[in-house]
Amino acid sequence: MVTMARSRGYRVFQGINAVILTGVVIVTLYPFVNIIARSFSEERYIVTGQVNLLPRGFSLRTYEVVTADPMFWTNYRNTVVYTVVATAIAMVLTTCYAYVLSKKHLKGRTFLIWVAVFTMIFSGGLIPNYVLVNSLGMTNTIWAVVLPNAISVFNLLVMKTFFENLPQELEEAAAIDGLSTYGILWRVVLPLSKAVIATMLLFYAVSFWNSWFTAFLYLNEQELFPVTVYLRNIIAGATGAENAGAVIGEASQVASNIQSVTILLTVLPILAVYPFVQRYFVSGVMLGAVKG
Amino acid sequence: MREISRRQALVGLGAFTFVLAGCGEGETAKKTADVSGNKAGAMASFGVGQQFKATEPISFDVLYNNHPFYPLKNDWLFWQELTKRTNVTLKPVAVPLSDYEKKRGLLVGSGQAPLIIPKTYHPAEEAFVASGAILPVSDYLDLMPNFKDKVAKWRLEPELNTFRQSDGRFYLLPGLHEDIWVDYSLAVRTDILEKHNLEIPKTWDELYTVLKALKAEYPDLYPMTDRWGVPTPGGNLLKIVAQAYGAKGGWEYQHATWDSAAGKFVYTGAMPGYKQMIEYLHKLVKEKLLDPESFTQQDEQAKQKFNSGKSFVISANAQTLINDHRTQLSKLVPGAKIVKIPVPLGPIGEYKIGVRTENGVMISKKALENKNFVAMMQFIDWLWYSDQGQEFAKWGVEGTTFTKDASGAYKLAEDVDFVGLNPGAPKHLQKDFGFHNGVFTYGGTTKLLHSTFSEEELAFQKVMNARKPWPVEPPHPFTDEEREQAALWETPLKDHVQQNTLKFILGERDLSEWDAYVKELEAKNMTSYINLVTTAYERFKKEHG
Repeated sequence: MVTMARSRGYRVFQGINAVILTGVVIVTLYPFVNIIARSFSEERYIVTGQVNLLPRGFSLRTYEVVTADPMFWTNYRNTVVYTVVATAIAMVLTTCYAYVLSKKHLKGRTFLIWVAVFTMIFSGGLIPNYVLVNSLGMTNTIWAVVLPNAISVFNLLVMKTFFENLPQELEEAAAIDGLSTYGILWRVVLPLSKAVIATMLLFYAVSFWNSWFTAFLYLNEQELFPVTVYLRNIIAGATGAENAGAVIGEASQVASNIQSVTILLTVLPILAVYPFVQRYFVSGVMLGAVKG
Repeated sequence: MREISRRQALVGLGAFTFVLAGCGEGETAKKTADVSGNKAGAMASFGVGQQFKATEPISFDVLYNNHPFYPLKNDWLFWQELTKRTNVTLKPVAVPLSDYEKKRGLLVGSGQAPLIIPKTYHPAEEAFVASGAILPVSDYLDLMPNFKDKVAKWRLEPELNTFRQSDGRFYLLPGLHEDIWVDYSLAVRTDILEKHNLEIPKTWDELYTVLKALKAEYPDLYPMTDRWGVPTPGGNLLKIVAQAYGAKGGWEYQHATWDSAAGKFVYTGAMPGYKQMIEYLHKLVKEKLLDPESFTQQDEQAKQKFNSGKSFVISANAQTLINDHRTQLSKLVPGAKIVKIPVPLGPIGEYKIGVRTENGVMISKKALENKNFVAMMQFIDWLWYSDQGQEFAKWGVEGTTFTKDASGAYKLAEDVDFVGLNPGAPKHLQKDFGFHNGVFTYGGTTKLLHSTFSEEELAFQKVMNARKPWPVEPPHPFTDEEREQAALWETPLKDHVQQNTLKFILGERDLSEWDAYVKELEAKNMTSYINLVTTAYERFKKEHG
């Protein structure tokens, strides 16, 4: 493309944009940088509010303390397992459902859509859900975490719209060449849908990684908890004072540098995935198979 | 199906049906249900001073509030020794401390709760009363000799009455204290006071004088800043100032306050004592003695101001005094000295105000169907209410985790640390042994309570204990319909009181508008609310007083 002559107004617009966006970047990045700085700092500097962008009293001690807790690693492993299994199940179910719904000639299609959308608006409520999961015998198993939220209706609708926009001609051509329905899905549709699949993968993976509530509800043993529940408890422990009236030095409190380290270790992996998947966001929706 | 024990199916949805069931039981309220069929494992006779030991090995589920500072370990000496002594194995259902209430509500609501549900703060149990999911424990006190003994010995009946519901029964076994225990007060920089020849203030008026003198010396600073402003503005400060005027504020705010002179309930947010509290604090803010951000800032900010020497007075308890302030101050401000001062006094005189009960144990009603029910009640009585049980839960096993000298003073074992009593010791009483666990340890004699206190804290307690206890308010339990009605009125009233309390104190609203403010409360059903309380109070007095 030829570089276009830019009007003065456009340049001003760009300037203002840059300023605003820089502001946004600072506001979003600062807390994170602060957490990183805290995680490498000594507790006393944090408590007195002296840690901002750079660590003070640099120390790796906190990392040693946190990583020395076997429960942290047990829960961390759980998070990885839950995320992988749940995302896999969610992807299979959502893709199949969305693909079916994208076919306009499907009988009862409206009904099937409404079944899904209905759950967006109405739900059984906490206690009935718990009773259900419990009577299915899923409490204290991985299934309680990975099954109840397997299909996100929002993601389902996004995917359905994407499939609807794929040119029908491609599938017709494939059918004429002798592919079965599943063959069409597997060999034609899915390869063309990498963008939306990558997006959904990220959506699901992030939400399962971050989720704590289902695990908290349905699991009763700390060995089964994901690391998010562990983290949440540690943060709560920093404010819950117990054994008041007691003496000197050590508290029944979890120090704020321990919190920072735990936060950091928890978000790091999912953060690292972002840049690799994000490029699909941009190219994703624009992709088309048939030109002109 | 007339037995209580059969009315258990589908507790989660039972709220509607069980209200009806509850009515029918009213007449037999005082009569203990027949438990002769649930005596498996129970001791034939169990009394005060006796070691409980089940006649056969039994186990119970217990809801366990998992504290991140001492995460649950299944190999704790606490569990082993408990089983050895009592023949009872507890099976903890671990719930993170962060969301304990949520999970408890869910489990009780869905009928999946463990039999023993500790760490419940009154009045949280009231939410479960209507559904019939929890046991009216007051009907079964005959199985609990230690509990009854302590209630009688320490004259705790008035406190227990405040736990009673409109049916005259209570559903929560609270932790019992021998005496009122006051912990929260103000921390003061005594080195600054000494420097300027000021005395430690004993009354709120003296505090005002001291702050004023400090302001003269440091005109650019606020001599006092405060913490515990989130989520309840002035949680501790409003509380202790209001107490000095016979009112309730901050964390302790309740809509109705008993006016013993008039012999009736009055609305707290409109009573003269409450206004005086506001006037006092407004004076501090107006004269720039108290940091106006005190009521809204995060604790972190308040601590920073105090610890960096920009402020000299702050709310504190024994633990924050040391952990949040002294250790930090000693590094940042050389020569700094701080003391937790006895709660300053006000017009009502030398009283210590507080309750002798704390959070306690709920029991699932389905326990009645358990063949070990009687043994369970005896076990609970032993662990939570007997002197031996309380000592065991707090200090552990004599010779292993602690020793006791001839005078009965406790001492930790050499290799065990707890709250810095044995700094540097390799093991920790809570983390490695599971004793002094918030789930199992509370209440008890003053001696036991004081056994972990420092000299400094004991001196504070000595001053506080010389004061007279403030009388307990008479109970006024609502019926279910009344509670529903009250809840509808409470929220708008509370919001209005809280907002305007702050406005008055910060000077955003002039105190000359007090009467207008009371009228606004009136429009929000203040009087109807007090009438409701009065009705409940009089009914309870007639039926159960």
